[in-house]
Amino acid sequence: MAPPKLAQKLLCWFLKDDLAEEVLGDLEEKYIKTTTAHSKVKATINYWYQVINYLRPFALKKYRSNSNYINMQQHNFKISIRNFQRNKSAFLINVIGLTTGLASALFIYLWVNHELSVNAFHANSENIHHALINHEEDHTLRTTQDTPGLLAEALQNEISEVVRATEDTDPLWFGESFALSSGNEFMKGLGKFSGAQFFEILSYPLVEGNAQKVLADKKSIAISESMAIRLFGKVTGAVGETVTWRLLHFEQEAIISAVFEDVPGNSTDQFDFVLPYQVFKEMNGAGINWLNFNAYTVVELAPGTDVEQLNQRLKPFIKEKSAKSNVSPMLYPYTDWYLKGNFENGVAVGGRIQYVQLLSIVAVFLLLIAVINFVNLTTARSSKRMKEIGVKKSLGAVRSSLIAQFITEAILLSAVSMVLATLLVKVLSPQFSHIIGKHLYLELTPTLLLPLFCTTVFIGILAGSYPALYLSKLKPIHIFKNKIKTGFAEILTRKGLVVFQFIISIVMITSVIIISDQIQFINNKNLGYNRSGVIMLPLEGETVKKMDTFFDQVAQVPGVMGASASSHAFVKKSGFTTGVSWPGKDQNVVTNFGFARVYDDMFETLEIEMIEGRVFSKEHANEKSKIIFNEEAIDVMGLENPIGTQVIFWGEEREIVGIVKNFHFSSLHDAVQPTAIIYDDEFMSHAFIKINASDMSETLSRLDSFYRDFNPEYTFNYEFMDGKFKQQYQAENQVASISVYFAAIAIIISCLGLFGLASFNAEVRRKEIGIRKVLGASSAKIISLLTGEYMKTVALALIIAIPLSYYTGQYLLADYAYAVKINIWYFLLAAGLSLVITYLTIGLQTLKSASINPVDCLKNE
Amino acid sequence: MIETKLGDFEEVILLIVGILGEQAYALNIADEFEAQTKRAVSIGAVHSTLTRLAEKGFLESKMGEASAERGGRRKRIYEITAAGQRALENSRDFKVSLWNQFPAFASKLDFTF
Repeated sequence: MAPPKLAQKLLCWFLKDDLAEEVLGDLEEKYIKTTTAHSKVKATINYWYQVINYLRPFALKKYRSNSNYINMQQHNFKISIRNFQRNKSAFLINVIGLTTGLASALFIYLWVNHELSVNAFHANSENIHHALINHEEDHTLRTTQDTPGLLAEALQNEISEVVRATEDTDPLWFGESFALSSGNEFMKGLGKFSGAQFFEILSYPLVEGNAQKVLADKKSIAISESMAIRLFGKVTGAVGETVTWRLLHFEQEAIISAVFEDVPGNSTDQFDFVLPYQVFKEMNGAGINWLNFNAYTVVELAPGTDVEQLNQRLKPFIKEKSAKSNVSPMLYPYTDWYLKGNFENGVAVGGRIQYVQLLSIVAVFLLLIAVINFVNLTTARSSKRMKEIGVKKSLGAVRSSLIAQFITEAILLSAVSMVLATLLVKVLSPQFSHIIGKHLYLELTPTLLLPLFCTTVFIGILAGSYPALYLSKLKPIHIFKNKIKTGFAEILTRKGLVVFQFIISIVMITSVIIISDQIQFINNKNLGYNRSGVIMLPLEGETVKKMDTFFDQVAQVPGVMGASASSHAFVKKSGFTTGVSWPGKDQNVVTNFGFARVYDDMFETLEIEMIEGRVFSKEHANEKSKIIFNEEAIDVMGLENPIGTQVIFWGEEREIVGIVKNFHFSSLHDAVQPTAIIYDDEFMSHAFIKINASDMSETLSRLDSFYRDFNPEYTFNYEFMDGKFKQQYQAENQVASISVYFAAIAIIISCLGLFGLASFNAEVRRKEIGIRKVLGASSAKIISLLTGEYMKTVALALIIAIPLSYYTGQYLLADYAYAVKINIWYFLLAAGLSLVITYLTIGLQTLKSASINPVDCLKNE
Repeated sequence: MIETKLGDFEEVILLIVGILGEQAYALNIADEFEAQTKRAVSIGAVHSTLTRLAEKGFLESKMGEASAERGGRRKRIYEITAAGQRALENSRDFKVSLWNQFPAFASKLDFTF
């Protein structure tokens, strides 16, 4: 009859030794009593209950470490907390600065991480490459993603390093006219055509189906999970079902061979269903040849292939197939295409990676600004802590222990800020995601916690080391004899750091002003056509079959001012051709023309100005043998009397009937290129309808009901051209709009630091101010005395920042073919802004100091 | 500063120590408390209160004799000090004076000993 051993052990572990005898005795007596009175089980339970109830402060062993190290850490911790409490304003300034800095850096980290993960999720990504095409034009190379549709197959058959290759197409090419039906309604979706090995090369996980056989059969189709749910209401059992797909006037049946998981957000290729490329090939017939570029090509190389060397070998690959070709293929890593997709003369020159780099630099600078605040405020206030250091040193503290103390203080501060910053990011991430247009959120996984911890320590050490080294160096004898003078070097360091903070803030503000102005400029630029009030809708169903009737009738709808169609959307990347030749053409030079097919009234609808000749019109017979060029094209061709000249376009003679004024054919990132426009009544992708601005909504609803009658199988799915136009610049718009916040944060943190310094300075100089006032100085005089010093510092920062901003501005605008001129107003605005903000920050502080009553600060003497 | 006011629970424990005399050790006090008040209490809670009362100077303690059912361990016997006695008397007098001021009972009850 012994009490439970484990409970006894537990009790002995936590119980004070001198209580052990009586307590163990009492409990055992109780145990025996309970056993005899009730049962053994009850006694055991009771014993445990009694043991747990001895967990009271009076009975616990007192733990006290004897380790010097731990004691010192506890001491440092305590001193830090007390110091924070004593200097509440400095502590708050530091915490606010570091928290906003860290939160901004965390946001940037989330975004950068997302950007870097784009397209990087494919299992074999290091071996997957895009085949790009270099076009030789006017002695330079132009790189595009579009390749001949025959390339993939030829590469796989003839190049041993190519393990797999697939043709691919872009869902954007087919716009909104792709649709699927399981027997009832047609559902629109993003569809495309891909080669048989598409799902083997790129690892889009399949829910059902076999990756090797997904697109092998010409009658097969692969659909996404959500498409399966839209079509059948479920995922399982979708494989084997028959669906009908429709694109323009093509309509066919296909059997579902696989269901894939919805394409993740960090894939650039977004699609809902995939059809075999074979189908696309048959739709295009003779259009698939070595001179036409109507597919993407994705290849998987054998591991360890030397891509450089392979690219050298591939150069003549296409020219050997077709003597007329002026292009050479080039393999480029699949994952790099998104971030480093800009090419100059066949060499990668960056792309979105520039934004990633820019924002990463911004993150580092924001943190630096916050760290500088800590350094400055700590060293400035050092005189307040000298006695503490003196006493410690006299009592035998070594320098390293003092350094440890100050670093502990900094790390503690940085830890507090990190916790707050993490909370802030958690709370604000929906807003941030909204601005940046991506779904970003902070997940505290172990892989993230370690870097966060390291950053905390690193920032603590970075911020703490200068104050630590500076303060621990002081000699006790000087401290107690009051012989410490603020050194020139120390003031210089502090000023230098403030100048640095303001340089960064000013450069950021100027850059933001320049970029915002550039975006304004783009949105308001006269493109040579008028896009306001113009809606675009895809041509599909009845509107394709009876285009003539459609446009005749749509023009009758009240409020419609004009309507036409084109094969080119104007606000997207354009098609291009090299198939133009003219009298006197140098056969060795290949010239690239943007081209579009247009229908009646296109020039009137978009208000494109003519310089010479006439526009296309149904009144004239034989419009299909005519052609219109823009000014640029006429210049390039060097024609003297262009009107009436016969040129050869795609092997057919056409007569030039008109010249249009240059207009922007696609994005403003590209210069206006030579453009050819031909008349057609087929192959149109979009209808353009100009509506009267005065009763837009009524006109739209009239159009909606008209459309429903005319084309009952489709919905009236329109977009404003203006909105579409802005979408082209979404990437820079988003980065620009987020940068505004970061620039604001930079200047706010800098000013916080300055505020801290100014208020400390005013505190130190209270007596001086008192004496000056007694001797007759006015408040205004004192304000100018106190603010002057800081305004000078900021002015110095301005002088250095302006040339730097100029270069940054040029770098930011380099990517635009049409950019605003960097002019003096940007700098004046930035300078004015930063001076006013600074003056307000320290002005408020000094106003308080300047209005003190001299009696209050002098009565103690 | 040592707290010298008696709490309700403390007062009862102190009285029980007085009642039990030579047998006043933690387990016995807890059992007696349960028997008298019909309220469950753990030995730990009683022990904690005893320690607090000893700190206040109302109790003294010494180690008693060992017994077999305790595995040969000794028990700690508590005894009321003069200060403890006084604290109990003060507490009683205070309450009696309150009762005497209560008009409904003042005339009917006689609390004198």
